[in-house]
Amino acid sequence: MAREIRGQKELREQVQDAGLCTGCGACVHLCPYQTFYHDRTIVLNPCDIQAGRCYAFCPRTPVDLEETRGLFSREAELTPEIGPVRAFRIVRAADARLREQAQHGGTVSALLSLALSEGLIDTAIVAEGRERFLHSGTAVREPGEVWKRGGSRFIVSPTVAEFNRAAADGGAGKIGVVATPCQVFALARMRLKPKLDSGRNPIDRLGLVIGLFCGFALSWSKLTALLERSVGLDAIRGMDIPPGEGVLEVYLEGGKRTFPMEEIRDCMREACQYCIDTTAEYADISVGSARLGGDWEETRTWNQVVVRSEAGAALLDLAKERGILEFRDVPAGNLDMLKAAAAEKKRAALKNLAEKSGRAEDLIYLDARDRVLAALMSEEGK
Amino acid sequence: MTALLNAGDGSRPLLMGNEAIARGALEAGMNLAAGYPGTPSSEILENLAKVAEARNLYVEWSTNEKVAMEVAAAASFAGLRSLCVMKQNGVNVASDFLLHLAGSGTRGGMVLVTCDDPGALSSVNEGESRHFARMIELPLLEPGDFQEAKDMTAWAFALSEELGTLVMLRSVTRMSHASGIVRLGKLPDRLPRAEFKSDGPMLDPDDGPVLSMPVAHKHGLQQGRIKKAREIFEASPFNTYEGPDRPELLVITSSACSLYSREAVHALGLGDRVGILKMGTTWPLPPNLLKTHLSRADRILVVEEVLPFLEDNVKVIAAEAAGEVGIKTFFGKSDGTIPAMGELSPDLVMEALCRILDVPLPAADLQYGKMAREAASLKAPQRGLAFCPGCPHRASYWNIRTALKLDDREGFVCGDIGCYTLDVFPGGAGTLKTLHSMGSGTGVASGFGKLGPFGLDRPILAVCGDSTFFHAAMPALVNAIHHRSNITVIVLDNSGTAMTGFQSHPGLCVNAMGQEMPDVDIAKICAAMGAKVEIRDPFDLAETQSTINRLMEDAEGVKVLILKQKCALSPEKRGIRQYNVHVDEALCIGEDCGCNRLCTRIFRCPALVWDKEKRRARVDEVLCAGCGVCAQICPQSAIRKEVA
Repeated sequence: MAREIRGQKELREQVQDAGLCTGCGACVHLCPYQTFYHDRTIVLNPCDIQAGRCYAFCPRTPVDLEETRGLFSREAELTPEIGPVRAFRIVRAADARLREQAQHGGTVSALLSLALSEGLIDTAIVAEGRERFLHSGTAVREPGEVWKRGGSRFIVSPTVAEFNRAAADGGAGKIGVVATPCQVFALARMRLKPKLDSGRNPIDRLGLVIGLFCGFALSWSKLTALLERSVGLDAIRGMDIPPGEGVLEVYLEGGKRTFPMEEIRDCMREACQYCIDTTAEYADISVGSARLGGDWEETRTWNQVVVRSEAGAALLDLAKERGILEFRDVPAGNLDMLKAAAAEKKRAALKNLAEKSGRAEDLIYLDARDRVLAALMSEEGK
Repeated sequence: MTALLNAGDGSRPLLMGNEAIARGALEAGMNLAAGYPGTPSSEILENLAKVAEARNLYVEWSTNEKVAMEVAAAASFAGLRSLCVMKQNGVNVASDFLLHLAGSGTRGGMVLVTCDDPGALSSVNEGESRHFARMIELPLLEPGDFQEAKDMTAWAFALSEELGTLVMLRSVTRMSHASGIVRLGKLPDRLPRAEFKSDGPMLDPDDGPVLSMPVAHKHGLQQGRIKKAREIFEASPFNTYEGPDRPELLVITSSACSLYSREAVHALGLGDRVGILKMGTTWPLPPNLLKTHLSRADRILVVEEVLPFLEDNVKVIAAEAAGEVGIKTFFGKSDGTIPAMGELSPDLVMEALCRILDVPLPAADLQYGKMAREAASLKAPQRGLAFCPGCPHRASYWNIRTALKLDDREGFVCGDIGCYTLDVFPGGAGTLKTLHSMGSGTGVASGFGKLGPFGLDRPILAVCGDSTFFHAAMPALVNAIHHRSNITVIVLDNSGTAMTGFQSHPGLCVNAMGQEMPDVDIAKICAAMGAKVEIRDPFDLAETQSTINRLMEDAEGVKVLILKQKCALSPEKRGIRQYNVHVDEALCIGEDCGCNRLCTRIFRCPALVWDKEKRRARVDEVLCAGCGVCAQICPQSAIRKEVA
């Protein structure tokens, strides 16, 4: 069922002002009227286009998930919890130096560098850290540039905005994007090629999407206020959320400071409460930190990878062939563990959406009658 | 050669009202003139400055109206004749000194010319300066035509010396800015010597110190001067009557309204039924003269701008003299016959006359009306109030608005008086959320900045111009700094008092007479006060905008950002283009880009034109001032600039 495409005004009312904006950047750099500042989308000037790209590409405007599923997955591979699964692997970058620079196994950097050096794409969009824990998307063309930009982020970066900007450069080369689930979903909505009043859809330039697993992102203003109060921003050298420990570790000049997850959850971006995607279901290939059990220092050097599309499968095969990635056996129950965690996030989001609207059948941007969502909700009811 | 230097050989040049006032001052041998620019008063001092050398004058644009009056008063205390000039609300600024000056009295003839702006054509208020004459007890004159503008000004100096007090002369926009034939008098040929006598007995009016105390004594003297003025005014030739001996209706009027009244009576052919008493001395009113004329008719219409000053004061005399002159029926502002505010016109007076005398209002000439409307819609370009092409304020506001949007905490800007006030009109962007008197933006912001504990937690900005900074913003800035009010003050420094015609101010290295003067540095003043000061070029959009954001995010105390860029119409810049700017039609994607004409719809420089046929933006080569700012805002880089 097609949803009506509206304009900037409705986008602002239904998404930004409603606390649904993920900060993915899909509505930015399409026109001069929207921009990004800190971790927020900003409307600079009013636009009077009735059916705008900003609204059409937003991952939080009303959507028919059946349409997006139809685009990307073969029915047999579809799982309700984590979307299409062609293959599930535990891998890491073969080059130890790359793992060193990256947050975990360095798989994303390795795959992206490979895609660039093999000419599968000529530009890669990655997040880049800036001052005071802010990030921006940045376009790089050399594999070495990808290496420098490894590492997890806890604040959203407007990566899709940088894709929009890079795609408008007049070139013809394909662009690869490393993106969080909301950003991947925005790119999926571009791939649906919605009918628009004006403007080009940048999607033809998209060559590869590497999705990142994501639990939630933090609000920049809340997080920096907390850190400024507690340790001072200048003293911080890095951060991580080790799995299973339920804490945020902040690495300081001389030691580290641990914040309990309850305190960190207070800094969560509101929009993340309404997200049903943990594993970037519409990517070519999705990458997250491994859950191996046992020694964390060993576990943290590995990634778990979900292969979703033909392009994703081909890239992973190429990486194996070239010896760029190391593979190890997937421990028993690992995929089910991931599915269980993802299902939990989905159910929580559906509950939060129903609470926000005040009506069980009104899921704001989602359709309660969608077969996957309906199934998840009825399971919860049992 | 300017008519102001005409020897007075009986020639009758066409003079603007303000020129006539300046000529009157010259004919009276005035030596010092000071004022602060403000429409409709500015041309008086400008014209005097031009002849300063030839006529041995000292002329200055003072920091503000109060200082101007103090400077002019010093000349009077030293026995010279002096003139002080300002617009209506300038008298409010000067009024504290004015009150004390009335108490101390003056020596050399001193005249305050105030030019009021009924209808607020060039003001953000419709203030009335005449009430100060009554409130502060000063004689008030109102010329009724251009000849009188000159003659009354000259006479005002003699009157001031005869009474020993300052004399107010009030003009209005139509008197100051319209022109008429003026018969010139002779220019005196003397250079008086300034001498300040102050060592005599305390109460000696000529040799003692100049003080407004002891108050009981000095106030008594001032009331005595007003009493004497009332006697002099009984015989003043500037109060005239024209009309039948016993008219059906007596019109009492003054200033430009006497011209409207004459025209209305003439147009209606009511010369044998209506008499017009034109008052030139409107405070204190001469009661015997009024009684004589009130006796002529039972019905009285008072025609004046803006408030019912004459009306109320005439009613007091009519009430006191009711036994002699009989009971009168009054028409005017109180009963609604005359509009309570705004400018009057011959048409409005005609309507009033027809209603009172029950004569039909002549039908408007339909053909004329049609032609006028056609001419207005077809032949005159549609122009709203807007910033000029190349105006630094357009760029400054663009930066401020962008920074406020990015900041996203509902920050707002307190406005002030200058060209940048145009932002509140439809041609602007509505950035300013408060607008009052000069310097008030910073003062109001200082107050807003202390409302955090009460829940008003929004970034507070204020703007003020360079001349406004010196005029009245400095005390407000000191207040904000001393009280740790968290505000950002943006000084829109365009190097001149641009709104009123580039008069000099203390920030420039020149004075009203074109002589070199030390310039006073705004940045150094602010830094010395204790503000954090930054200076940027508003034409550098990215740098200016990020600076504003950084200052707004700094929660500690007062930040001052000086945005320095000369006015596009300044003498230094006028006609000189920094860039040749054009639109590359191949790159401009018009309405199709989703950018939807950012340049012509949002930025709206008058030199950026939307070509309806080509559906592309275009630069109007005649209008473009070559600032190059639009090249920075075009998302397609379709607006190209090359160094001219």
